[in-house]
Amino acid sequence: MNSTTSRRGLRLGEGTFSFNFDGRRYQAREGDTAASALLANGVRLMGRSIKARRRRGVLTAGPEEPNALLTVGDSFNCIPNVAAPQLVLRAGLLLRSQNRWPSLKFDVASVLQAGGGILGAGFYYKTFMWPSWHTYEPLIRRLAGLGSAPAACTLPQASIENFSCDVLIGGGGVAGLTAARAATRAGARVVVCEREPCLGGEIEFEDARIEGTGALAWLRELAVELNSRGARLLFETTVVGGRGGEVIAHAEPGGLAGANTLYRIRPRVFVVAMGATERPLTFVDNDLPGVMLLSAAERYGVRYGVRIAKRTVIFANHNRAYAAATRLAAAGMQICAIVDTRPESAITEARVAALREQLVRSGIECLYEQTVIAARGRAGVTAAEVGSITGTGHVRVIECDTILMSGGWTPVTHAGQQEGGTRRYVPDIAAFVADRQPDARMTVGAANGVFELSAICHEAQAIGERAARLAGQACSPVPPPKAQGDPAPELRPFWRSPAPRAAEKRQFVDFQNDVTVADLRSAVEEGFYEIEHAKRYTALGFGTDQGRLSGVLGAAIIAELRGEPLDRVGTSRLRQPFHPVTLKSLAGLRTGAALRVTRRTPLHKWHLAQGGVMGPTGLWMRPMHYGKAGADVARISALEATAVRTTGGISDASTLGKIEIAGPDAAAFLDYLYMTPASSLKVGRSRYAVNLREDGMVLDDGLLLRMGSDRFRATTSTGHAEEMLAHFEYYRALEFGTAQVVISDVTDAWAVIVVAGPKSREALLPILEDPSRPPVAALQHMDFTMARFAGAELLVLRASFSGELACELHCPPDSAASLADALVGAGMKPYGLEALDILRVEKGYLTHAELSGQTTPYDLGMEGFLKRKDRFVGSDLLDRPAFHEESRPRLVGVRAANGHAAFLAGAQLVGREDRNHPCGYITSSALSPALGEYIGLALVARSIGEGAEIIARDPLRLGDTTVRIAPIVHFDPSGERMRR
Amino acid sequence: MTQLVCPFCGPRELHEFEFRKTAASAGGTPVERVYLRVDHPDLSIEHWHHVRGCRTWLVIERNPSTDAICRVRLLGGDAE
Repeated sequence: MNSTTSRRGLRLGEGTFSFNFDGRRYQAREGDTAASALLANGVRLMGRSIKARRRRGVLTAGPEEPNALLTVGDSFNCIPNVAAPQLVLRAGLLLRSQNRWPSLKFDVASVLQAGGGILGAGFYYKTFMWPSWHTYEPLIRRLAGLGSAPAACTLPQASIENFSCDVLIGGGGVAGLTAARAATRAGARVVVCEREPCLGGEIEFEDARIEGTGALAWLRELAVELNSRGARLLFETTVVGGRGGEVIAHAEPGGLAGANTLYRIRPRVFVVAMGATERPLTFVDNDLPGVMLLSAAERYGVRYGVRIAKRTVIFANHNRAYAAATRLAAAGMQICAIVDTRPESAITEARVAALREQLVRSGIECLYEQTVIAARGRAGVTAAEVGSITGTGHVRVIECDTILMSGGWTPVTHAGQQEGGTRRYVPDIAAFVADRQPDARMTVGAANGVFELSAICHEAQAIGERAARLAGQACSPVPPPKAQGDPAPELRPFWRSPAPRAAEKRQFVDFQNDVTVADLRSAVEEGFYEIEHAKRYTALGFGTDQGRLSGVLGAAIIAELRGEPLDRVGTSRLRQPFHPVTLKSLAGLRTGAALRVTRRTPLHKWHLAQGGVMGPTGLWMRPMHYGKAGADVARISALEATAVRTTGGISDASTLGKIEIAGPDAAAFLDYLYMTPASSLKVGRSRYAVNLREDGMVLDDGLLLRMGSDRFRATTSTGHAEEMLAHFEYYRALEFGTAQVVISDVTDAWAVIVVAGPKSREALLPILEDPSRPPVAALQHMDFTMARFAGAELLVLRASFSGELACELHCPPDSAASLADALVGAGMKPYGLEALDILRVEKGYLTHAELSGQTTPYDLGMEGFLKRKDRFVGSDLLDRPAFHEESRPRLVGVRAANGHAAFLAGAQLVGREDRNHPCGYITSSALSPALGEYIGLALVARSIGEGAEIIARDPLRLGDTTVRIAPIVHFDPSGERMRR
Repeated sequence: MTQLVCPFCGPRELHEFEFRKTAASAGGTPVERVYLRVDHPDLSIEHWHHVRGCRTWLVIERNPSTDAICRVRLLGGDAE
């Protein structure tokens, strides 16, 4: 029956192809998953467990699979931890098992642990303590872990889609679809997320009739109706989380992280219909390959035509076992026995009694108040030991190759609890369901603890109508679809078989993390009995399945060990994501160059044409220097700087923030924003201006230009441009709410070219049309005027950041390149950011290295500006004693004591005697071509005066250099060059 | 809280907004105004900027325990 070509299943297509698992080729049918194809090929061993390295086969037929986690692809481009039941195969796919070395059948680590169960909870931390855990950690971490990350990631780029809808339904089973139909019929815009590639959920294998037809036919009609009414059906899409009214769903085509989509959905109403997860039962060696969930056996049969057993024992605590046994027997499986933990009297449904009669007549044994004590076998199940649930009496051995277990179902309540909803315990189903839910959130069907089909239809119809009404659609109640499915479960809680203490370390509770009853017992005995503590102590509920299989089971066993009811113990908090999401999906298109904005000045192409070597500074690309990349940067930059000092050069300062402040109250507003007042500034003049934060630290510096009596232009440093705009807007709102002030960001409206050098005036004047008063030729230091260049308006500001005679030219962006060309034609050489930095360090001007947000105006020697009596931003806190303590740093210049030695920014400064305690650090450094030596700026303790010699420590780069404290201004201290 | 309702723009995604600070406690010394914040489990009054939208500064009152937005108003004006 399991031959590749003769299998018949709902999911199978006609074609066949081959794939590769651990180096061997296998045949698969179109539509097969990795798990179904391997099972059909007789492969049961699919992985090793994470800690004890025990042999593991596939346990489930869904995304909750804890054992059969595979790596898809080669070591360079692979995806680890793909659940085999979710991975739809393609021809030629390479699959590898995980947690084994050298091979799956023979694993060295498992031999080392042959004693079995030596790795109890906390084993590593308790054992590897001398001399320290960290000695062993790297080795142990290599042994641990789930798969390994690929060497490179060449996954296709994922997309992120945002949309809104009236009603979002998580889950395309009967509950979700009935609700979806009710809501669409009422006119609501409905979206359904279904994790499988087709609709139906559990109904695929239930003996169900809905509205007088077979369940599958009903589903087909329903899908047609939903489509025609405009509902959107998203397949292979799992709701993984959400918050604040937003729901996140993740689409993984074929269960293989490929061209994934992350949906960010904003529904008016979210209906959770994500079903329930079947739970395992705990008995000795219940992790042997061949022990499987009952529903998994049915799914593999119905979907893929795989008969997973020849002889099987069914082990359960509810009525569904009888319906399933009937179907599996009809599919040709030999059922040796049904082991029911309940007494015979627990079965009250007539339909179940009838099924049971039929099974007994066909020779299948039904055992009551019995349990599977243990599975026998080494590489796989060979027999089941069956005995009384009390642990007394005779134990029978039943030969079989599979044990199909079902301990009831855990409703999927993640989506609500992640947003702060609560859950309540329902004894009838021995599970928790959503209790208090966030607004506009409903849960329906098995996810709400309702397992009987007609009850589900009833509830879902009402919920669908209510959701539509909540979403604003009028609708009148319609009777629910008539349906009949499997009988109600009549479940009696049962969690684990009796076992001697020594065997508890082979009773597995959480398969993925190798958590056994013995581990839970040691957690309880060692004080980690609170469920959240037990989780962290034992790893119960971690991993890709996030406790879907083990959460309630583990809690129930802890409850038993504590002697308390399960609802008092509770389960650990459920967290996002519900199902693993690749990081690539979360990033979406924001990868590589698209991770952030790249800003280019209007002169970008011009720089490239001049041979500019561009580099990133913040978001901006700026020319670092001109000439070949890889050439001697220091030498080229020194030449550029020298050119500025001897003749002249131009640089691009378009990145400066430029903000215009206008209105009758503009001067008063700026007086408040700046430490340096604006109202005393005359029209046509500019001033160096400094902003403080409200805590008195220096925020930024720049120039303030008075354009008119009620109009100013402020420039900010490149790095602070956006922050300063927000800062201005904040204080206008906070303290100038009724004042007449308009703030405009004009950063991108003006390109800025700086022309600097002793010959800069001669170069500039001939190319300007100069209709202005005062004329450009008559500008004094810090004056500005308007001029024209090639028909374009130009602001000419005589200000200098290099110490040379210089002008800032604010010009329209589209005339910047021709202005730059004209200046170069007049003999000015372009200079880059490196040269600019040399020039400003020579002059002791500040940049972000000094305005670090940790320096006060006193630290930076700005006392001269602080003669004001009125309030401004930051003034309240300037008198704090801490600002005036001797331990505060002070900005100084530094030079090499012997005149030649090098030192770099970032070096720590220490005293010559006490070399262990830094007394400051170097903020900026440069090799000055004008002075022929290394110079710098530094923040040092105030007690260290000018002339003192201290050590610049830089052990990773240049070693120790003796430096001398010098005046801040290294070059042309009187400033006569720029005032000429 | 993944959306905020801007008084000008209506409900907008959170990433359009930037948090500046939790509003200061009323009165007190300058140090208290700058450094002391009202830290209450059920009510947090905060200044936010609709920086990738209309650039309005907002005062947002929210409940940190439930993540619920209680009130959004413009910063400044009479209420301040």
